[in-house]
Amino acid sequence: MATPGTAQPTSVGGMDTFNIAHGFVESLVRGMRNSFLSDSDYHHLTQCDNLDDCKMNLGETDFGPALQEESTLSPTILQSAAINKLSTEFLYLRSQSVAPLSTFLDFITHEYMIDNIMLLLKGTMSGRDINDLISMAHPLGLFKESTMRSIPTFESNSKGYADLYQCVLVDTPVGVYFAKFLKETSQQLGNAGEVRNVLEEVEIEIIKASLQKFWLEDFYAFCEELGGETAMMMGEILRTRADTHAINVTLNSFGTALNEPSMRLSDRKRLYPSFGHLYPHGTAMLVNAHDPDSLGAVVSQFSQYAPAWTVHTSGVDKSIDDAFYERDVHQLELAFEGQMHFACFYAYVKLKEQEIRNLVWISECVLQNQKESINSFVPIFSQHSPWRVKNQRR
Amino acid sequence: MSSSSCTGEYCNAGWSEVLTSMSPYGWGSMGLAFGLSLSVIGAAWGIFLTGSSLVGAAVKSPRIRSKNLISVIFCEATAIYGVIMAIVLNGLMKKPEGGIENGSFTDEWNWSSFYFAGYGVFSSGLSVGLTNVASGVAVGIAGSSCALADAQDSSLFVKILIVEIFASALGIFGIIVGIIQSNSCQFPYDVAN
Repeated sequence: MATPGTAQPTSVGGMDTFNIAHGFVESLVRGMRNSFLSDSDYHHLTQCDNLDDCKMNLGETDFGPALQEESTLSPTILQSAAINKLSTEFLYLRSQSVAPLSTFLDFITHEYMIDNIMLLLKGTMSGRDINDLISMAHPLGLFKESTMRSIPTFESNSKGYADLYQCVLVDTPVGVYFAKFLKETSQQLGNAGEVRNVLEEVEIEIIKASLQKFWLEDFYAFCEELGGETAMMMGEILRTRADTHAINVTLNSFGTALNEPSMRLSDRKRLYPSFGHLYPHGTAMLVNAHDPDSLGAVVSQFSQYAPAWTVHTSGVDKSIDDAFYERDVHQLELAFEGQMHFACFYAYVKLKEQEIRNLVWISECVLQNQKESINSFVPIFSQHSPWRVKNQRR
Repeated sequence: MSSSSCTGEYCNAGWSEVLTSMSPYGWGSMGLAFGLSLSVIGAAWGIFLTGSSLVGAAVKSPRIRSKNLISVIFCEATAIYGVIMAIVLNGLMKKPEGGIENGSFTDEWNWSSFYFAGYGVFSSGLSVGLTNVASGVAVGIAGSSCALADAQDSSLFVKILIVEIFASALGIFGIIVGIIQSNSCQFPYDVAN
């Protein structure tokens, strides 16, 4: 039993010392949990005939103040207002937190920084204006203005990326992931000369998948180091995320150059994270998957993913992405069940993102007057979720 | 244990000699100090555990502010038990007015009562102090969860309060046993003439 004085701010703390440094911030995020739209809110929204009705219904929810300044509503306006609201709340949490919670929250933002870098690189390759791109960047992953403006000025080949890293990205928090990516590609270059031609046009998607893999591994190692309930909950959440990453990389590679036998072992295997339920035996089998059927054979051997795969192949309008979203929401809701750990912060950000996706889907359906598919979203903390209904029947 | 291996003038023959040579007034005063200070540590621990959650949860749900101060009051009660016990024990500690000649106790000094009272006051102080640490931490953790649950759903408050009531009962056990223990302790302060 440690006395309160020995609990340094650099530790998570057990049940008896967590509240010293993190109690206030955790209770803030649990207060914010109240703001998720309820079943009745979703019901009213799906009954709307046009977007002004939607705006009126949303006015009574937590989104009301955020949407008040907008004169009309459109899906993109709704999305950007909701993301800005999430970003404000997140920055409030971040400003009140101390280490190691502040490092944890920074890890969450790294994912959006990677997305923003990719957005800027991709955007200038297709010739869009830098100001448009900066306004489209995710607010949780912003760098300094000067850093963002200089990213598109580099060429999109391996030398260009090396220059981009040395001049710009080395100062950013995600620079370390870029360094690992460059080390990996230069190792490949050293091994086989003829691979160089392919890598000179290395696709943006492969860079993004690599960076995300490094970020996932780093985050997982950090959570394991924190120990206790945080490690237990975040470990499970991140393992599922790593497996989703591996499955998506494989699924998206069918029909591209990455699916060729020579590329599969050298390149596609590098994109699989080195942790997760599928690692190491599942990822070794995934390397040889060459079409959706063989992928399905691999995935169905793992009990967590077999149901998702049967949903994908059964031909109903749900895709595997929807099945994964449902399973993610189930897992993230469970993160709020325990107290005195950090997983609820990650869960809050991700569940808010899912809610924003739901709102955009509903508003698009209302705008285009497609009421049949308006109910194919995943509600959060809903009383009608399959996992809740099952328990109530007992 | 009192072997005869000691030859020096200030050498102690064993632990029994060390412990019995410590003055019962010392034992008694230390018990009083432990009782008070450990109770206050437990109460303070509980208050910061529950207070930080209460302050944060009240940002988004201001209605929980007043009701959840009950958790803080429960924690404070454990400190009050410590103060009560300290005052009771202080009443038992008596300065000797007679029975001392030339700096040492006379032969009629009531040694058995003297030692019994010293050890008894020490242990009743520890009883109260340690139970109050446990009680304070328990009430604190339960109170923190109570504030967060109340912020989500106000029907949960009374139910979780029952958990806190049981947790604060632990402190009451300590003070009951402490008072019973210290009842039979009497420091002698004079010799019967």
